[in-house]
Amino acid sequence: MKTKLSLIRTMQFGFGAALAILLVIGVVALLQRNLDTERRLLEAWTALGLGSVVALLIAGLAGWRVPRTYAARGRADGAFLKSEDQLRILIEGVQDYAIFMLDPQGTVVSWNAGAERIKGYKADEIIGQNYSRFYPQEDIALGKPEEALRIAAASGRTETESWRVRKDGSRFLANFVITAARNSSGTLLGFSEISRDVTERQETEAKYRGLLEAAPDAMVVVNQAGEIVLLNLQAEKQFGYHRDELVGQRVKNIIPEGFAERLIADGTRTAVEALAQQIGTGIDLLGRRKNGSDFPIEIMLRPLESADGILVTAAIRDITERKKSDEFLLKTVGELKRSNDELEQFAYIASHDLQEPLRMVASYTQLLAKRYHGRLDSDADEFIAYAVDGSNRMQQLIEDLLAYSRAGMDGRALQKISSDRSLQKALANLRLTIEETGALVTHDSLPDITTDDTQLTQVFQNLVGNAIKYRSAEVPRIHVSAAANGGNEWIFSVRDNGLGIDPKYFARIFVLFQRLHGRDEFDGTGIGLAICKKMLERLGGRIWVESQPEQEKGSTFHFALPQGVGT
Amino acid sequence: MTQSMRIPAAPIEVLLVEDSPGDVRLTREALKDTKVQVSLHVASDGIEAMAFLEREGVHVHAPRPDLILLDLNLPKKDGREVLQEIKQSVALKSIPVVILTTSASETDVLRSYQLHANCYISKPVDLDGFLKVVQSIDNFWLSVVKLPHEAPS
Repeated sequence: MKTKLSLIRTMQFGFGAALAILLVIGVVALLQRNLDTERRLLEAWTALGLGSVVALLIAGLAGWRVPRTYAARGRADGAFLKSEDQLRILIEGVQDYAIFMLDPQGTVVSWNAGAERIKGYKADEIIGQNYSRFYPQEDIALGKPEEALRIAAASGRTETESWRVRKDGSRFLANFVITAARNSSGTLLGFSEISRDVTERQETEAKYRGLLEAAPDAMVVVNQAGEIVLLNLQAEKQFGYHRDELVGQRVKNIIPEGFAERLIADGTRTAVEALAQQIGTGIDLLGRRKNGSDFPIEIMLRPLESADGILVTAAIRDITERKKSDEFLLKTVGELKRSNDELEQFAYIASHDLQEPLRMVASYTQLLAKRYHGRLDSDADEFIAYAVDGSNRMQQLIEDLLAYSRAGMDGRALQKISSDRSLQKALANLRLTIEETGALVTHDSLPDITTDDTQLTQVFQNLVGNAIKYRSAEVPRIHVSAAANGGNEWIFSVRDNGLGIDPKYFARIFVLFQRLHGRDEFDGTGIGLAICKKMLERLGGRIWVESQPEQEKGSTFHFALPQGVGT
Repeated sequence: MTQSMRIPAAPIEVLLVEDSPGDVRLTREALKDTKVQVSLHVASDGIEAMAFLEREGVHVHAPRPDLILLDLNLPKKDGREVLQEIKQSVALKSIPVVILTTSASETDVLRSYQLHANCYISKPVDLDGFLKVVQSIDNFWLSVVKLPHEAPS
């Protein structure tokens, strides 16, 4: 009993010093081991800080304890007890680390709060039990608990990261250091174990790793020397390398020279000068695969301050497909424009060139009619009359086709104009018709608008002209108004009390040469609204109609035009 | 004053540069009813027009026209080139040139005036319109307007 007590006392004596050494060694080891990444470094520094404080305290207490042990052995010294209490409280109070002592056989002899928290046992439940129960069954079968102690005894310490078992049987990943405690003559007194649960760290790491690997873009972290320090699966795939072939390599191996330097320079400049703004720099450049082929990439850079200096995280997107579709789109738009231009040119040339021979036919049939009317027989007069009529109509159609193909073709610069004045001009052009029919044309105040005056005038002229042309038995009453539409457009409306239009023809009336009336009722080729539609669409607008002919309310033609700048 | 007055009996020399025989005939028909006696010469392309004006080859005895009616779209040498050459020639530039063409293109109108055309007329598509235009030309250029007799030396 005396021997046992003595052992415990000696152990208590050695405990402080051992723990202090062990903590420093452990922390330094942790430090060395964790040099790989910046995050671990920080963690290590935290541990070192904590460890140093604990170690200094323990060492101080232990050193102070040595003379006291001899001087005050067996004596109840308040100060001594107090410092022993302090030590105990200190160790026991550590929550994040399980710190406990084992005897040379592995029996638990002390227990702290961290151990209780991490392993789930209370001190009185575990003291006196063998520490092997912390190991999973398969490790016990393999003799790992004994092996760890053997190694610690032989080499002074052992550090392991492996699965441990809590009291409730659940497992956690532990990082633990077992250190042998010997007295001055080298006799093995027992062991200390410091361990912590790294499951959470492991999970967090796994989460970030998962995030990195799941990213659709290649992610490469580069240091200021231009070396790749970290990359993901996409980066391996995109560049055709294995991870090991890239880590530690220069980034210019995958991004052609000139660009790589820019990447580093831009990345670090961004970091230094505009860290607060966190600018993501989008640069278009080329990536180079392992096989030497290039592909277009887009890079977003993000500086990352780390213990190793500024790192640049580059998200690299392979934009081959996008480039392809961009080019395709551009090509298609170009082709469409060309074909549109050709069509316009075709319509213009066709109508223009058709007009020449037709003019001959028309002129000479007209000359025939003029010179020989009544001088041949009545059949001749009739035939000539049909020829004249046909050629006249053909001429009108061609002229209209020409007008339609020309509509909006002149690339006039849009100007801020008064739509009121455009209407006035249109009404002036219609003066004769208005006088002949006694039409009453009224209008609200009309806005200033940035558009093409000539075309707007023609649209007004066509719409008001139609309103008069397709009048009912009543005196034509036409009202022109305008209203802002959500701040983007002006909606102009030309309302009449005319014949109205059956809704089933609403779409058809805007189609070239589509007419709703016979030639004996109304003349014209059906060009006016088609021209209005084309002009308005060219000006970024649209046109539509409302009508309820059965209620004899006439029609209202609406057209919208962008308000344009400064209106 | 009297010595500068045109002698009414002398025919007015008009050069019509026109490749369409139909138009030539129509112009002749239209000029039939005019008060002034017109001697109409026809060149059917730009080369021939310049040869007539420069009195080259068969045109060695060609008269200097008092008025030129010029179509723009011509074979061999374009009407625009003919206009430019006339207006750049010291000997010819005082002859009034009336552009009479089917083109109503604003570019053609502007370009013609920039090349110093004296006036630009789009051929009306219908007979009556055409007759009226020719009679107007006749009335204005051959009666109202006082034309120069000879080129300044």
